[in-house]
Amino acid sequence: MNPAKKKNFKIEPFKHKVEMDPKYAEKTWKILEDAIHEIYNHNASGLSFEELYRNAYNMVLHKYGEKLYSGVVATMTQHLREIARIVEAAQGGLFLEELDVKWREHNKSLQMIRDILMYMDRTFVNNFNKTPVHELGLNLWRDYIVRSPKIKDRLLNTLLDLVHRERTGEVINRGLMRNITKMLVELGLPVYQEDFERPFLEAASDFYRLESQQLIETSDCPDYLRKAEKRLNEEIERVAHYLDSKSEAKITQVVEREVIGNRLKLLVEMENSGLISMLIDDKYDDLGRMYNLFRRINTGLQTMRELMTAHLRETGRQLVTDPERLKDPVEFVQRLLDEKDKYDKIIQQSFNNDKMFQNALNSSFEYFINLNIRSPEFISLFVDDKLRKGLKGVSEEDVELVLDKVMMLFRYLQEKDVFEKYYKQHLAKRLLSGRTVSDDAERSLIVKLKTECGYQFTSKLEGMFTDMKTSRDTMQGFNSTWAGAEGNDGPTLTVQVLTTGSWPTQSGARCTMPTEILAMCDKFKMYYLSTHTGRRLTWQTNMGTADLKATFGDGNKHELNVSTYQMCILCLFNTSDHLTYREIEQATDIPAPDLKRNLQSLACVKGKNVLRKEPMSKDISEDDVFIFNDKFSSKFYKVKISTVVAQKESEPEKQETRQKVEEDRKPQIEAAIVRIMKSRRLLDHNNIISEVTKQLQARFMPNPAVIKKRIESLIEREFLERDRTDRKLYRYLA
Amino acid sequence: MTVSKSETVKLVSAEGFEFIIDRKAAVVSNTLKNMLSSSGNFTETELGEVNFPEISTPILEKVCQYFYWSLQFASGKETEFVIEPEMTLELMMAANYLHT
Repeated sequence: MNPAKKKNFKIEPFKHKVEMDPKYAEKTWKILEDAIHEIYNHNASGLSFEELYRNAYNMVLHKYGEKLYSGVVATMTQHLREIARIVEAAQGGLFLEELDVKWREHNKSLQMIRDILMYMDRTFVNNFNKTPVHELGLNLWRDYIVRSPKIKDRLLNTLLDLVHRERTGEVINRGLMRNITKMLVELGLPVYQEDFERPFLEAASDFYRLESQQLIETSDCPDYLRKAEKRLNEEIERVAHYLDSKSEAKITQVVEREVIGNRLKLLVEMENSGLISMLIDDKYDDLGRMYNLFRRINTGLQTMRELMTAHLRETGRQLVTDPERLKDPVEFVQRLLDEKDKYDKIIQQSFNNDKMFQNALNSSFEYFINLNIRSPEFISLFVDDKLRKGLKGVSEEDVELVLDKVMMLFRYLQEKDVFEKYYKQHLAKRLLSGRTVSDDAERSLIVKLKTECGYQFTSKLEGMFTDMKTSRDTMQGFNSTWAGAEGNDGPTLTVQVLTTGSWPTQSGARCTMPTEILAMCDKFKMYYLSTHTGRRLTWQTNMGTADLKATFGDGNKHELNVSTYQMCILCLFNTSDHLTYREIEQATDIPAPDLKRNLQSLACVKGKNVLRKEPMSKDISEDDVFIFNDKFSSKFYKVKISTVVAQKESEPEKQETRQKVEEDRKPQIEAAIVRIMKSRRLLDHNNIISEVTKQLQARFMPNPAVIKKRIESLIEREFLERDRTDRKLYRYLA
Repeated sequence: MTVSKSETVKLVSAEGFEFIIDRKAAVVSNTLKNMLSSSGNFTETELGEVNFPEISTPILEKVCQYFYWSLQFASGKETEFVIEPEMTLELMMAANYLHT
């Protein structure tokens, strides 16, 4: 507004500068220096911020920045030296507290100094690349206090001692610890890391190395793990309470390494309490703890997995090769299922459903189930047992559950075609004897097999069901045509017409049936062929059953449920009470092994011995004489006489089935080879083997030697030829 | 002291003129902000009063006007702030001093 006034104001600084040059700087600095002293002495209340700021401002403006800056450094240093003396002099436990108090005071003073020197920070410090006042104050504190020779080691030792004391159960002043570590962090992360964290980690390492050494000598595995877990949590909590959060990963790593990592092998393999004992005793909590702790270690879970796998394989191997177990296939499979359930539960409850563990479990099962060549048969027998009686009165969901479990075992099988073979046999028996518990369950399992192995695998099984249904319709037609033609006393006939190929038929079955039955059979044959021309019927006498009404001495009447063969034998006794083995054989024409077996079940089973045998013995010999047992009695009106057929196959039968399976495999292998060669045209031997194996492993593991034989056979039949130059190569001949 | 918490502060020019302005306007200046809220107990902080022996009344008045204008500007009201050419230099020096 007033130009004159303005000019005055503008000129004044120049005058000042010229006039007061020598004394001005000294004077101004003196004011500031005094103020800094006052600030450090907590006497700042009388000071004027504006005055001090203006003085600092003017000093910088008049190019005395350097003087101001170095003066500040010197003044602060002087105060810090004084503080260092006080801190050093602090006795024992008061040391940290004194340090903490002084640190807070210094911080406050530093802030005030920074505030009044703000102009310097903004201009001088920036232009001359100096350290800003606040940082400068921290650096000075670091160099004159924290790293002063008399304080540095004492500070570190005090801190480590406090941590150690806390580790051994004492209560320490965590707030104070927190302040001190915070101070170190504020002085810069390197200060915290070098002056505290590294030694802290080393001390922890030493401490835990020693402790774990003692612990492992005195504790069992679960106990040790509990303590380890506690220690780990303590350290994590410690970090949360009074250390920098970045230390957590480092300290846990130390504990993990010292307490767990270095004792890993010892722990899992600990006698009577290690992993294996836990597994055996289903110690879910302990196992879960082990899993969670070991997960922290690189190789921890791997070690656990390996040991578990080894243990599983060993117990599994014992289970499947134990001759005692082989006596009862149902029990055998049940044991497998129980074992699987047990480990499923452990993995679910304790191992967080870890995929790696599940895989280990699966591969172990696959390994040992296939150790026993009879596993497919046994699994099928188990299903047979369940479907015949085991699942009676069980709810649908539970049936599904059992079937799913069986499917799971089935998946482990390498020789799925062997299973199919047996399953077919067992299913045939169930269907023909009408003994299956639930059609739904049967079909459900077929569907499961189908989704697992494809249409091809189950088409024949499904064919069996279709046959059963068609047969029912046929019988209805037959009965309505011939009903009443015979008296009610005459025999009735139920025929199941089975498609050749779908059913496991035996071609060798034959017998001479009683004439009255034969007549019925002929009638049926006539009826059937009249509706279905161009078909051929053969009687599978080995698969049928018959209900006989028999009258014993004292007029005891019983209905006997017997096989077709047994019926033929028993009918002979209608005309004579005494028959020798040879006579029976001649009259019935039943193949010798079948005859013997059927005679055995008629004469040698206690409570069901409709016949007597001389001499009395368990086995049938060709010189035996059989006598109608007049004294036969039973509590029940209906008596079922089962053929003594070991549920399990006998040795020769087993061989036979085996052979059949091998025989069935041949065309499959050949088909696979042809399929592959058709698309590849030219392939070497090893590649064919691996491709064939890949194609067929869903059903069975083909033997390379067998594949080689099939290749040779195909060469002979001119499907393939060897390459003329490279004999290892095969060429496909269209 | 209740004064330090009050909503207004007092700025005194070289000639002794007192300007009483809102605290939130005063803290547009970083220097003032520090003076009024420093953790130390300086007189300014305690009394809520700042003396400027080197700033003349007209300049301080302009500065106060600027504080209010700046608040408005920051809240989205963009008007022009008129500065008379003859006070430009002094005003700039004051601005430097006040870190505004």
